[in-house]
Amino acid sequence: MTSLTTMQPGEHLEQPISRDVFVARGLLDRDDLLQLMDRAVTKRVTVISAPPGSGKTSLLRAWAARSTNLRRVAFVSVDRDQQDAQRFWRDVLDAIRSPAPSTDAEAQSAATAALEGDQLVERVLSEVAEQVEPVVLVIDDLHELRSADALAQLEHLLANLPSSARVVLSSRRDPPIRLHQLRLIAEIAEIRAGDLRFTERETRELLSESGITLSDAGAAALYQRAEGWAAGLRLAVIALSGHPDPERFVAEFSGTDRAIGEYLMAEMLERQPSEVQSMLLRTSLVDRMNGELADLLAGRSGSEQMLLELEEANAFVVSLDARRIWFRYHHLLAEFLRLELRRRFADEIPDLHRRAAQWFADHGEVVEAVRHSLAAGDWPDAARLVADHSFGWVLDGQARTIDAVLQAFPEVASADHPDLALAHAANELNRGRLEEAAAQLEVAESHIQSAPPGRRRRLAVAIASLRLALARRSGRLSEVIEQVNLLDASISDESNDQIAMGSELRAVALLNLGIVETWSRRFDDAERHLSEGAALARAIGRPYLEVACRAHLGFPSTTVSLASACERGRQAVAVAERYGLGERPILAPALGAVAFWAIWMGEFNAGESALRRAWEVAEPQIDPAAAVLLHMVTGQLHAARGQHQAALEAFAAGAQARSRLTGVHAFATPVVGWLAATQARLGMPDEARETLAGFSAEPGRIGFIDNARAVICLAEGDPAGALDVLRDVPDATPPTGPAFTLVETHLLAGIAHLQLGDRNAAATAAEAALAAAEPDRLIFPFAMTDAAELLGALPSHQTAHGALAAEIPDLLRGEPAPSTDREHFSQPEELSPSELRVLRYLPTNLTRPEIASELYVSTNTVNTHIRSIYSKLGTRDRSSAVRRARELRLLSAGRS
Amino acid sequence: MTTTTAGLYAIRIKGRLGPTALSAFPTMASEVKDGETVLTGWLEDRSAVFGVLAQIEALGLELLELRHIPSRRQSPESDDDRSPDRV
Repeated sequence: MTSLTTMQPGEHLEQPISRDVFVARGLLDRDDLLQLMDRAVTKRVTVISAPPGSGKTSLLRAWAARSTNLRRVAFVSVDRDQQDAQRFWRDVLDAIRSPAPSTDAEAQSAATAALEGDQLVERVLSEVAEQVEPVVLVIDDLHELRSADALAQLEHLLANLPSSARVVLSSRRDPPIRLHQLRLIAEIAEIRAGDLRFTERETRELLSESGITLSDAGAAALYQRAEGWAAGLRLAVIALSGHPDPERFVAEFSGTDRAIGEYLMAEMLERQPSEVQSMLLRTSLVDRMNGELADLLAGRSGSEQMLLELEEANAFVVSLDARRIWFRYHHLLAEFLRLELRRRFADEIPDLHRRAAQWFADHGEVVEAVRHSLAAGDWPDAARLVADHSFGWVLDGQARTIDAVLQAFPEVASADHPDLALAHAANELNRGRLEEAAAQLEVAESHIQSAPPGRRRRLAVAIASLRLALARRSGRLSEVIEQVNLLDASISDESNDQIAMGSELRAVALLNLGIVETWSRRFDDAERHLSEGAALARAIGRPYLEVACRAHLGFPSTTVSLASACERGRQAVAVAERYGLGERPILAPALGAVAFWAIWMGEFNAGESALRRAWEVAEPQIDPAAAVLLHMVTGQLHAARGQHQAALEAFAAGAQARSRLTGVHAFATPVVGWLAATQARLGMPDEARETLAGFSAEPGRIGFIDNARAVICLAEGDPAGALDVLRDVPDATPPTGPAFTLVETHLLAGIAHLQLGDRNAAATAAEAALAAAEPDRLIFPFAMTDAAELLGALPSHQTAHGALAAEIPDLLRGEPAPSTDREHFSQPEELSPSELRVLRYLPTNLTRPEIASELYVSTNTVNTHIRSIYSKLGTRDRSSAVRRARELRLLSAGRS
Repeated sequence: MTTTTAGLYAIRIKGRLGPTALSAFPTMASEVKDGETVLTGWLEDRSAVFGVLAQIEALGLELLELRHIPSRRQSPESDDDRSPDRV
């Protein structure tokens, strides 16, 4: 049961079906109509709008199967009552990629699994543009699309369609999207019911191809009665096949005043053997079925064979996949069968829904299971399904699904139900509505006693886990820590308990626990929980969760050296990229840690690019705890480059973010210390003192504060005072672990000695700084304190760290900027219009999210364009891309 | 909006509806005249109206006419709501 949600058999059903599956079914090849389609798709958009049974789908499928090498048809059928824009666009993307190169397919799906609707539309547009053959995107049953977002996104797609691409929309009624722009430029073709109607000649052809002999008068009467309605004629053909007296059938049909669909449907059903009738009626309430599910509902075996035979007889049964495993009924047939089922066997219906729900739940199709549970009237069961799977959906990046399924709950479904409240809480949390989430959690918690005893434990753990996530998102670290031990204990118990807690829940709890511990500087606990969480996530196939755990493992602990912490940070980024999760906000801490250590080790350019990426992936509503890290590293980078004003702003932003937390933050002390030191360097000693005054450092970290005090003294021309302040630092610094503060302490002392004219003491301090720095290559303090002059005071023969001493001045002067790849310097690949639009913003100081909002696209889209711009220009960063673009005169407005 | 939409409706459909199709409209009375079926019934609001239309569409029935029948004997609860904006 644990990995239910990873199975999505419904996802790839609606692929275009190969020619042999449906052309050989006795469907008439309606050449005139196929030619009409060919003419229609010379326009950018074709709208087919006609009532059910007009033959829209048959035409589209026949036309798609006949397609030439000159185009590729991507066929999407909208699922019944589709309210989930994200799912709809993923189906579209799958159709465009299908048949995808098998090696890429998995990575591609993983990469898009979590994208939102508007990002998916951009992806659709760019992939359509990349296809070699022109793509015709066919969207059938568009009337089933009930998401206003998806329809708006569809409009956007039509407005931005690459010139070679075509879209065909098929719907029972005119689609509710604006098409007047396309009408104005005559780029729209419309096919309506009148165009689809059978002619009398076609009616005769259909009869003769189906082996039905009918007099001319009979054929004419049939045609007149059916009025060219495709479904009516097909039903009539089924009824006529093997009919003992076709002429009598036509006479009766022509004579009746019954509505023809109902009349013919009833005829068809009556002509089936009773076991087939029974199977058809009882399976009518699922949207699609395979043999196993049909047997379960029909209460007998052999359904698959019946379905295959019905499909072969063209009896309104459609197979959904080329292997003919999944079937559905023609919409008209399904409607009539459902009514008939309700008329004949109404009392069986709840039980049939219940069986379907169980089957879908067992096969990981939770959305269908929920739908049938609700239809059976079992909303508490449905609530339990949603509560149990909401984590999985969130982790698969399909959190919108929770919202969609919750909409379907009846009003009688009491909000006091703990499972339902829990599902609502997960939904609100996911939508960033923290207060609403808290309120729902209260409800869940206060009604937990109404749950069956066996379930209370699991609910309690789920509630605690959501609380933890909520508190983490709100930055209430101290509150979290209070609950952590409780949850930790219950998780440990759980593994010995009879009640197995879902592995997902457990991994999510471990993640939140570990994140909070990381930010609370309990790195040993964090290491334990996050490693376990990552391993568990990997075991249950949850890449997002694995990446999230690993993203917070980039810090050293007593058991993890600095070198391996760095390596873990880089690994987290690599793993995320492999899963296509390289742009998720959760990766920000890993990128921040990578930048942090790169800057400590003097690799400022590498640090800068990791940091820039960290800010790019961080969502606007980044957790305050992660924001502290990113601001601090930004400040360090500027400080290392002597840009003290920019450093000041970043450290101040870090201190500001920290003040929104209610607990101790791992980097609170360095942020405050460096903020004060930067203020002092900028000639604001009073402000610096004020910064320090309101702050009490954690035990063992006083060194950051003392260093800052020393900088204030030095800035005020009081080197002796600085030495006084620094005297106690070495004793107050923990003897183990990297000497983060100590290097700076020695350097500041050395500078003070130098100012006092004591070159020997200065050389000794410089040597001590090098000794402390060497094991972990802690170069950053040399840059921040501008220690070049001090190192000059240390004669090279007097140091045991000559290599480092020689290297540091080079690093402080700055590494050579990442060189432009000269090989790409010749003629760059042409930029697309949208890339050019983004390019124009690169010389500005707008951030990527700001560019995105200027262009009304998602940040992700901008990221994609910028990556592509870099690669086409052969550059690696924004400034060199701008330089290169200037050289190529791509920035002039003339080209737009 | 809903107050002006609620009311008695007559829906004319081509052909005589049999028991199966009629079971889709349990709240409406049916009458067959000249090869047409007229469904008559009180529809509470817009979504009820659209629900009936969707059902007609789903069954492939041919809609000939949808008529809102002005009611002389208004239902008591809607009396107060006959607001001035009703044309």
